[in-house]
Amino acid sequence: MNVQRLLDIYAIMERHRREGAEGYALCAVAAEFTVFDGAGIALIDNDELTSLCTSDHASGALMDLELALGEGPMVDASRGDASEDTDLRQTTSPEWSIYRSEAVALGARAVFAYPIRLGAIRFGALSFYRISAGPLDAQESSDAYLMASVIGRAILAEQSGGTLVGFADELHGESALDFRVHQAAGMLAIQGALSVKDALVLLRAHAFGVGLSLADLAERMVTCTTRFDSNTGEWIDNMAEEHDER
Amino acid sequence: MNRESLLIATLVELADNLVDDYDVIDVLTVLTHRCVEAIDVDAAGVMLASPNGELQFVASSSESMTVLELFQIQTNEGPCVDCYKDGLAITNHALSEADGRWPLFTPRALALGFRAVHSLPMRLRGRTIGALNLFRTHQGTLTDDDVTVAQGLADVATIAILQHRSSLDASTLNAQLNNALNSRVIIEQAKGMICQSTGCDMDDAFNRLRAHARNHNEGLTGLATRLVNKSITAVELDEWVGVVAK
Repeated sequence: MNVQRLLDIYAIMERHRREGAEGYALCAVAAEFTVFDGAGIALIDNDELTSLCTSDHASGALMDLELALGEGPMVDASRGDASEDTDLRQTTSPEWSIYRSEAVALGARAVFAYPIRLGAIRFGALSFYRISAGPLDAQESSDAYLMASVIGRAILAEQSGGTLVGFADELHGESALDFRVHQAAGMLAIQGALSVKDALVLLRAHAFGVGLSLADLAERMVTCTTRFDSNTGEWIDNMAEEHDER
Repeated sequence: MNRESLLIATLVELADNLVDDYDVIDVLTVLTHRCVEAIDVDAAGVMLASPNGELQFVASSSESMTVLELFQIQTNEGPCVDCYKDGLAITNHALSEADGRWPLFTPRALALGFRAVHSLPMRLRGRTIGALNLFRTHQGTLTDDDVTVAQGLADVATIAILQHRSSLDASTLNAQLNNALNSRVIIEQAKGMICQSTGCDMDDAFNRLRAHARNHNEGLTGLATRLVNKSITAVELDEWVGVVAK
């Protein structure tokens, strides 16, 4: 895989952190990592999109516009697939017609949005704008998807109480798409009567708490070595040494 | 059925499947089963590259944990990784203890009883988007005809992933790859839920999901999404009786 681009994202995150940015400063990182002129992230909270961050004034205005109108590429991406308009002034489709003219008035010429998702779990969407029209080349498009994937993992890591250091290790190390992790999240959703998203957060938090990698904990879940008891809220581990460690 | 008849039947079946709203994972699963029947191999699987170039398993003739593990290892190394990087077929690679080419992959494949491995590139206008992986439990060579058939099936798999898109710009292709990979994650999440709810293994969980999808003329990914979103429960799925209906 293209590890270098992941390392580039991490280096930008690390620098923003050193410079005292709040949290992961994800929008600033996204704007700096990609060729776009600005970035915004909206998260789904109780079925409603809310702004997490924007990287500049125009991104903020575009975000407000989309949330107020309830239409646009980011709204579409949060519910479905990636969405883009590579030339806002030339497109004549009736879709997002109000958004389109307002976005042009704000200085945008092209807009792009990517779902932030993990399987059926939807976190929200990452949106970008450009002040010039035109399609993306392969590298620019790949970088945008990579950024959306990293943001999804960062949000998940933050919700499960992880640290930036732990998250960076994960970026360096294991695959984003280990099938056992997703199976284990599905199993835990049933064991704990949780949503699959909450199950994934709990799985990560527990892995972090007992010092296992997410993949190793998932392996124990799918082999029924470890399970979660929803009545007591306890993790039950059939491996004796695990109890000794606690 | 001789091979010629089987291939013709396969092409007709796939042509019939590749209509408006087909499920890409389901079509690729059909394709891997036909690989096993048409070529002298024991297991077949499709790995696709994420927009960032990370290989990920999307469909296999077997959903058993052990076979999936062989694909998971190939996120990092293995015949598919080499085939994807070079864009060249690897055929008739005999696996042996002494073979140091894939130190993680080879011992696991041998432990599972596989003796030979092949990997065929999935190519699209100069870009390699993934690889078709074939495993055999005995050594011996695939003939040139076998390789031609396998490459033909890999090309059909490539077409299936494109989902009728006539324009093939970077954004469209990345969107299709991202969707196919995300569909597989949704299916893994659903398999975990089915497994936990009904006490079956992961292989049976997939078969049950697929049988229900086919019985009710519903897409595999759509059904898996409904499970994860809890609009249907695992126990409501039709029982799998050992044969997946056409």
